[in-house]
Amino acid sequence: MIDALVILLVLFAAWTGWRVFRVDSMIRATFSLMLSFISVGAIGVLLSAPYIGVATVFMMAVEMMVMGIFMVMFMMNPAGLNPMMMVHQHKLSIVAGVLAALGLGAAVLTTTLPTDPVPGETDVVSDLGHELLGPSMLIFETAGVTLLATMIGAVVLSSRRGRYGQADEGSRPPGLDPGGPPAGRQPEGEGGHHHHHHHHGGH
Amino acid sequence: MTTALLVLTLASTLAVGAWLGAWFDRLAPLLYGGRAAGPLAPLRAGAAALLRPRIETEAPDRMNARLAPGWYLALAAAGLSVVPFAPGAALIETPVGIVVWGSCEALTIVAVFLHGWSPNAPFPLIGAYRYAAIGLPVMLPSMFVLIAAALPAESLSFTAIVESQREVWNIVRQPLGLPLFLIVGLTLTLRGPMDFADAADIAGGTSAEDSGPGRALWQGARLAMLVSFSAVAATTFLGGPLGPALPGPVWLWIKTAAIMALTVAVGHGVARTTPSRMLTILWVVLLPLSFVHLLVSGVLAL
Amino acid sequence: MTLTIVLLGAAALIGIGLYGALSQQSFVMLMMGLELMLNGALLAIIGLWSLALGGMPEGQLLAIIVMAVMAVEMSIGFALIVAVYRKRQADMTEALGTLKG
Repeated sequence: MIDALVILLVLFAAWTGWRVFRVDSMIRATFSLMLSFISVGAIGVLLSAPYIGVATVFMMAVEMMVMGIFMVMFMMNPAGLNPMMMVHQHKLSIVAGVLAALGLGAAVLTTTLPTDPVPGETDVVSDLGHELLGPSMLIFETAGVTLLATMIGAVVLSSRRGRYGQADEGSRPPGLDPGGPPAGRQPEGEGGHHHHHHHHGGH
Repeated sequence: MTTALLVLTLASTLAVGAWLGAWFDRLAPLLYGGRAAGPLAPLRAGAAALLRPRIETEAPDRMNARLAPGWYLALAAAGLSVVPFAPGAALIETPVGIVVWGSCEALTIVAVFLHGWSPNAPFPLIGAYRYAAIGLPVMLPSMFVLIAAALPAESLSFTAIVESQREVWNIVRQPLGLPLFLIVGLTLTLRGPMDFADAADIAGGTSAEDSGPGRALWQGARLAMLVSFSAVAATTFLGGPLGPALPGPVWLWIKTAAIMALTVAVGHGVARTTPSRMLTILWVVLLPLSFVHLLVSGVLAL
Repeated sequence: MTLTIVLLGAAALIGIGLYGALSQQSFVMLMMGLELMLNGALLAIIGLWSLALGGMPEGQLLAIIVMAVMAVEMSIGFALIVAVYRKRQADMTEALGTLKG
């Protein structure tokens, strides 16, 4: 029963993972990826890892919502429900993806996998807690410090104010064709602050 | 047998609680000098909404438009399923109850976002977008408050958190917890100062294009989430089903109703600020405050 | 049997993720590919820990590390996207011919 559910969830995780790069809208892609993560979380719950499984669901719901916010913020077709296909080096990517999956799959199939399931009476959650704050304290603390460094790095990288002036100073959109003039709306007259080379008598 | 009974209890708690919440919503104006309506008004309003025709927007995401209210309701039910109705009697007895509730909170933001995104219309999308931006930082105080409650219990399960309050309730030990958690509840139920999703200033936000059964279900789901949130808050801070004389479920219902009334009163009484100012308040005031709360609770639990 | 299928699923997720990370033009979609690969890793770890390690707590620890890696990848990735956007007003990989200033 549990095995059948796990297999169904594995298939669902792979299918929703595949949908991520096949759906029209980036929001659909984001939440398709979230479904893939949620199925992996559910597999964790079924395979006696309740904390890992539920924490995956929690974390991925938050992460994918952040993704969604960035999708709407940066996409040319914001919450878009229009068809789109934005890919490059497509054949190479397909070959690389298929090779990676086949290689790993062959490795799985040719290995004799050990069978040693988690004993039924194990209190896995408190085991994990004691491991985190016991023998593996150093690893746990390292992860904590890494996350702190990440937070500082993310704030520094994304801040507009900086030691060497504004981050968006002299910012220009890329050209529509390589090396072409900047795309987008050109500010008219003195309205835009990029156009300091305009000289009108009155100013 | 017990499972069937618990399923029934959960469903009726959600249904009766949703009606009670809707009535509280109509009583709340009394507090602020308005006029109240009777206990049947929410039922009439719900029936009227069910009879109205559905609005179809241009090129919507039909699946999510139909499903979003269902997700919201399902998350309310899932959140309530880990709450014990009597000591040790939750529908889903799990060692990671507060993480399950946290997942329901995070997925609620996703459900509200999908509800606003799917009609493919401007006001719903604005509501969804600014709600997601406000809702995500609200998750942080929520987690710290719940972890603080887990410290004296030495467990992540709600049953253990209830047991840890036999001597003294968490509201006494951790006085900052309930006010911080109330903000989470206002966010989850799209109310008052945290209602950036369905607010009147953007013509009803994510519900602007809703009509008919979908709208009725969405409003019902909001009320169901109010019940679930209040039950979780009552369990975490007011000892849940603990209490003299009366049986456990009755105590839980009384405490849940009290938190619901408090949430509704705050929701009707506190004004909403702009999203950008609220974002600053969340990151600069509430997040450090919840750190302090966690620190104090941790030291006290030693 | 279950473990084999779980691991094959993980291999499929890693393959799909690699395809996405290599083929997508938009930065955000590229990161979804990376996330999908980490998802595959997480699935493999959960499967192996649960069915082949006899409940060794270090296996769960590895899953926690993968989650921390995801968090780091997300936040630094988005910070870089914001930084690039501020400088170049671009959200596509092609728009960055060079990383200079």
